[in-house]
Amino acid sequence: MIRRLFKRIWSAATAVTLAVLVCGAVLTLAIGAAALLGYPPLRVADLWLHGAAGSWYALSSSCADACPLLLTGLAAGVAFRAGVLNIGAQGQFLMGALVAVALSTRMMICHQPVLVIPIALIGGALAGGMWGLIAQYLERYRSVPVVLSTILLNFVALYLAEAALQGPLQAVGTAAAQSPEIAGKYWLPLFVAYTDFHIGIILALGLAVLLWVLQERTVFGFESQVVGLNPGTAKAMRMPVTWRQFQIMFISGGCAGLGGAIQVLGQVHFMTAHMGNYGYAGIAVALLGRLNPLGIILSAGFFGFLDTGAFRVEESSLALPHDMANVIKAVVILVMLVLAGISLWRSRRVGNPGSSAPTETPSA
Amino acid sequence: MATPPLALKLTGIRKLFNGIAALDNVSLDVAAGSVHGILGENGAGKTTLMNIIAGLLRPDSGSMEAMGTSLPAGGVRASRARGIGMVHQHFKLVDNQSGLDNIVLAVSKSLWSRKPQTVLRDIEHWCRELKWTVDLQRPVGELGVGQQQRVEIIKALCGGGRILILDEPTAALTPVEVDELALAVAGLANAGMTVLFISHKLHEVTRMCQVISILRRGKLVYSGGVADLSVEQIAEKMVGAKVDAPRLVQLQGDTKIHALLELESVDYRISKRTPLILKQIHLRVYPGEILGIAGVDGNGQSELAAVISGAVIATAGRIMRSGTANADAPAGSAYIPEDRQKEALVLPLPIVSNLLLRKYRQRPFVRWGFRRFGQWRGHATNLVRQYDIRCRDVDDAVGTLSGGNQQKVVLARELSDLPELILAVNPTRGLDVGATAFVLRQLLDARARGAGVILIHGDLDELLSVSDRVAVMSGGKLLATPWPHSTPEQIGRMMLGGA
Repeated sequence: MIRRLFKRIWSAATAVTLAVLVCGAVLTLAIGAAALLGYPPLRVADLWLHGAAGSWYALSSSCADACPLLLTGLAAGVAFRAGVLNIGAQGQFLMGALVAVALSTRMMICHQPVLVIPIALIGGALAGGMWGLIAQYLERYRSVPVVLSTILLNFVALYLAEAALQGPLQAVGTAAAQSPEIAGKYWLPLFVAYTDFHIGIILALGLAVLLWVLQERTVFGFESQVVGLNPGTAKAMRMPVTWRQFQIMFISGGCAGLGGAIQVLGQVHFMTAHMGNYGYAGIAVALLGRLNPLGIILSAGFFGFLDTGAFRVEESSLALPHDMANVIKAVVILVMLVLAGISLWRSRRVGNPGSSAPTETPSA
Repeated sequence: MATPPLALKLTGIRKLFNGIAALDNVSLDVAAGSVHGILGENGAGKTTLMNIIAGLLRPDSGSMEAMGTSLPAGGVRASRARGIGMVHQHFKLVDNQSGLDNIVLAVSKSLWSRKPQTVLRDIEHWCRELKWTVDLQRPVGELGVGQQQRVEIIKALCGGGRILILDEPTAALTPVEVDELALAVAGLANAGMTVLFISHKLHEVTRMCQVISILRRGKLVYSGGVADLSVEQIAEKMVGAKVDAPRLVQLQGDTKIHALLELESVDYRISKRTPLILKQIHLRVYPGEILGIAGVDGNGQSELAAVISGAVIATAGRIMRSGTANADAPAGSAYIPEDRQKEALVLPLPIVSNLLLRKYRQRPFVRWGFRRFGQWRGHATNLVRQYDIRCRDVDDAVGTLSGGNQQKVVLARELSDLPELILAVNPTRGLDVGATAFVLRQLLDARARGAGVILIHGDLDELLSVSDRVAVMSGGKLLATPWPHSTPEQIGRMMLGGA
């Protein structure tokens, strides 16, 4: 018992150490690169840290930025762990946002915020989930790999959203593809006034914990993990492989859709078809969090911190180029891939009897 | 007394893999013109040693001499130039090229100096010497395993091989082919060749070799005349402990009341356009017997296993379990599949999880959909003790275990609930002597308590040693044999499609 507890702490500790290492490496690189471009490195670092976590407001905007990443990260993580290669979180995110905007601007069922907000959130989640199910259906009954169909459906979702935003959902008095602003009373309430701390963040954190329990503690999570790691064995053990894959895809798409809904209701309050590449970034977030929902919380927070800090440095008098932030994010992904490669290599050696390398399963 | 000249002289060979000694100070003398057997369990270091001799691996220390001159370590060309030729267990042939082209390719010094005519003369010479017929025109991939092996051996000989290394040459052969190989090996020795014969099958080595060397965990534990030891003594030296081969004991009383499993005219094909893979299979398994199904790989055994286990649906025919027509495998049946890593285990998951793959949704192990880890661990710890699974901790990934222990995990899961019907497919593949004995003994124990066992197995010797009745799969048909009133050779001929 104590040994297991120790193991758990140890694996958590290694995850944290990894995260710290990544942070350190990336910031060093970033500051070094800034120095090369002729920006005062210490000032960049200072602005970055203050912009991302220097005040309650800065912290709240980091968190608000991390929120959609957390949800798309969960979407990717929960699916990958079950072997469902859903890389369509972007499309599911857009569908979620679209339905949430529709339900809170044009297709009003009622005008009570207490009802409209939950309806819009649930509607967004359902829309994302259904969008995912299309891909799963295509794989099961039409032999189209999920990897392929989810990518393609991302584009379908993008143009569908543009069409809707230039058609029935277009704001009055504009030519751009954009929705009207959502009325203030339907915005997600803030739990700290004058910040970006909206309840969507709490919702996302709660969902992450819930998914962790589902994955690590329930029979459903166990089955979906076996399905993901070895479908042959899962079939031989008479697990409902197909049914689990559909369920996982629905949960995954639902997370991404909820992310879109929360983003429009809580953060930007109107919609365009170009709301950021949260869906694709979610894949990186999930991998950095090693597909563990609790790890994904950390890695989403880290990405949000990076994004917000970079934005503040861009906005400041230094005017660091916008591409800088993207370079840094790319470096993070590279460093992460190297680390993931190392741990993969270590777990490969497991096949060697006598090797004492610890196994790095996502569940550990 | 004049000692015969040495073909090979190894002194103090040592090889480490990841800090573990695969070979530890091995010194070995091989007399020229002898057939020298190298024995040892899986992982004892036989193949490593041979790879070092052939120049494919470089030893960490030690020196080698071939034909009286020193042999540089780690050079394939140097080894080949001294006449060392290796026939690997998994053949190194280009499947879509003819035998002749394969040999020419291996023998030619460079791309521009290919001389098929001279090579052909060599080939004919060796075929005459060994009294072999080999089809050199067909693509190698279309030949049987025995023919492919002949191509490999001739390839080594034409390359100037005087010292021939045969790595597990009998692993894939039928008894008749083994006999023919034995004749050829004797012929090679007569022609002045030195043969290193690697095997873990004792009776083949004692028959073919004059001198044997036994490796155990990287150390040479015996080197000397084969006649000086009994078969039991050799086995003991290989394993390091006494091994009792599992044997069939006749059971008391007639238990054939009703069949546990009955297949009636079962056909199977993948789709309407493909030919039948299983043709009119009739089969009955009774309580308290082991029904052995022999056959050369690829004659429908995998498909038969899939049909019985319920993984695929038979195209035609009836499958009855305990007298009822129920295609689904009931709870009381166990399946030990051919490929345990693909169909029975999840390697990255802990031993606990793998032991519970059948029962994880049954009563004490789940409550309200939640896993009860305490119960899981308790159950797993019991099974680990009961089945002697060697591991540090039940939370270790199954992938960290050796092949034998992985198979024990499968057996523990499948057999601990005392199933009525057991289907086992090649359950000892890749296992060493000790683990093989364990697996076979488990099947015999199940039979003794009244279970019916279907054993589909490629190793005929093991199959015959534990089966009450034996049938042969050949070309998708299941043929009954009069076993035990027939010889292994007769069954071997049936496996090859003869009468």
